[in-house]
Amino acid sequence: MNLLRLFLVFAKIGAVVFGGGFVMIPFIQREVVQHYGWLTQQQFVDAIALGQITPGPILISATFVGYKVQGLTGAVVATLAVFLPSFLMTALAARQLARLRRNPRVAGFLRGVLPAVVAMLLMAAITIGRSTLWFDWRLLLLACAALLLLVRFKVDAVYVVIGAGAAGFLLERG
Amino acid sequence: MPETAARCWISSQGRFPMPDRDIAPDIVPETPCPSRPSLPALAQVMLKVGATGFGMGMVGVLQQEAVTRRAWLSQQEFADGLALANLLPGPIAVDAAVYVGYKLRGWAGATVCLLALLIPAFVIMLGLTIGYLHYGQVPRLHGVFRGLNAAVVALVLAVAYRLGKSSLKSTAQGVLAAGALGAALLHISPVTVVLACGIIGALLLTPQPKVVP
Repeated sequence: MNLLRLFLVFAKIGAVVFGGGFVMIPFIQREVVQHYGWLTQQQFVDAIALGQITPGPILISATFVGYKVQGLTGAVVATLAVFLPSFLMTALAARQLARLRRNPRVAGFLRGVLPAVVAMLLMAAITIGRSTLWFDWRLLLLACAALLLLVRFKVDAVYVVIGAGAAGFLLERG
Repeated sequence: MPETAARCWISSQGRFPMPDRDIAPDIVPETPCPSRPSLPALAQVMLKVGATGFGMGMVGVLQQEAVTRRAWLSQQEFADGLALANLLPGPIAVDAAVYVGYKLRGWAGATVCLLALLIPAFVIMLGLTIGYLHYGQVPRLHGVFRGLNAAVVALVLAVAYRLGKSSLKSTAQGVLAAGALGAALLHISPVTVVLACGIIGALLLTPQPKVVP
């Protein structure tokens, strides 16, 4: 029962992550943390961070959730489920590519989806930030520095995550 | 392992492996072309891409391996694949890998590419998860996770900024984003919000047909 639910939740998430893997964050937060309570907010954030330092797609955080819910089987099911929709759609659409790109409805759909995705990402940042950063100005500063490195200096996300982990470790000891 | 070179024909659509049966009469067989790799060869490349690329970084590795080094696809075909990946849900790199697999070897190729791409990430993530669930509660590591927290907030904001810059191009889209944020604050499910905005876009934001003078 749990496995089926796990599959359905992740297949649903996999079907709506327009704009890249990061877009999963608000969806996973809503379903996995708030709705089913499979992870705590902290575990969820850590799962995202671990997905970031793992090579491969960011969406691999699904493995973490699956494992937490149902061990190895859960990990396999959640991982396959989250990639299944985009796999099917890509293979089915590969032949129709030229037609899809010319279709004004498809273009319009994306023009509508992407602003919503931006809003969802902002919302996710607010939710995650509120639960932790708000109470600690050093962490807030660390987040600002990380943002600056990512946006202004285009530093690779892997290094930013590893650096922030190290900085957090030092802050805690100091 | 040497690849058996398939005969190819060239059309305006690109390069295709020679069909076994009916050969189009007006097409002259070309010199051997290096395309159409075996499934193990595809798997090998995708394992490498999955193990060495991080997030979007995989796209670069994939291009390097499939286009530059092996010439399985032309630059244009790969760019078409990326355009498709941008249209469809799912991580760009995964969609692109599935597209490459499908283009070269049909459904079998697409499946092999997806699985091979995921295996390194899955194994590493599984190890990290087990380690985390064992040692995540160690007090000495609390600081590390708080630091990661800050990084994740920054990452999400950076992605929002990047996507916003490239996609918020009209007042209507700004209004849509504001409306979506309002809906999220009212705890409406993100899936509902995103799909609703997509439908609104398909109805109202379709590009104007170009007027030819």
